[in-house]
Amino acid sequence: MATTTAAVTLTSDLLSDNMSVTASTTCMKAGTTADGLDQIEYAIVEIATGDQYDLVCSTPTASKGSKLYVKNHSIDETYYVEIMIDSQAIGRLYAGDWMFIPADFHDANADVEITALTGTNKIEYALLHEGTALTAS
Amino acid sequence: MATTCTINISSDIAPGFGGISESMTLTQAGTVTDIDSTTGFQRRKLSATAAVDLVTMASELIEPKDSVASKIYIRNIGDGKGNIDKSVGVTIGVKAEPIGKLFGGDWMMMPLTCIDTDDVTATPATDDTVVLEFVMFYEEA
Repeated sequence: MATTTAAVTLTSDLLSDNMSVTASTTCMKAGTTADGLDQIEYAIVEIATGDQYDLVCSTPTASKGSKLYVKNHSIDETYYVEIMIDSQAIGRLYAGDWMFIPADFHDANADVEITALTGTNKIEYALLHEGTALTAS
Repeated sequence: MATTCTINISSDIAPGFGGISESMTLTQAGTVTDIDSTTGFQRRKLSATAAVDLVTMASELIEPKDSVASKIYIRNIGDGKGNIDKSVGVTIGVKAEPIGKLFGGDWMMMPLTCIDTDDVTATPATDDTVVLEFVMFYEEA
């Protein structure tokens, strides 16, 4: 079985007492305890301002256990991209920001879309999944 | 006052994949100034398949600024008694748009718009008890 683990450490001193959260999960296929995610799409792309693009070009099998990591590697703090799913704005990733989400791809419209609003942003992404609908040539 | 978040992904799916290890400091939009507001760490126990708001944006006591650099961390910690079931999933959504399903033990970190109508929702797949931990960081409007 392929094994993928994702760990996070979150610390903050915004509250009176410091907050520190750590968590780790083994990324499994949907609803299973014995079979890990076994496929990956990993890339770095440059997104120029203007058009909206589908970040994930393939079509992962819907409603499975896919996980998506995205990082904005831009250095200028004013640079950012907007992330949308099925035309619903999710939020913005500014320079240095990353996100890690379960990605549902619940139907053909549920693409993960990205738009650069300032500058050309260098984006790294990794899609961990359990199958895609390949396009016949 | 800093808020930082580090991710480490390791995988043997592809022999050449060296993993991912990245850290970010949560800052206010377009600046290097630390983010300044949080909901604090919260828990929500769910025992039904109905969709609920984890965060109702319009009800936040400190109004979040819209469309900036807000983030939310959410984790499915199982039943809250130490039992984590990988087969029990909770679909997290924004304004009724499903983002994805957090199975037992899974966590997520994502940006948010914090627009009043863009509530963060949770919809369990079953009526088994499941507890979500979450914390939102945002800029005060």
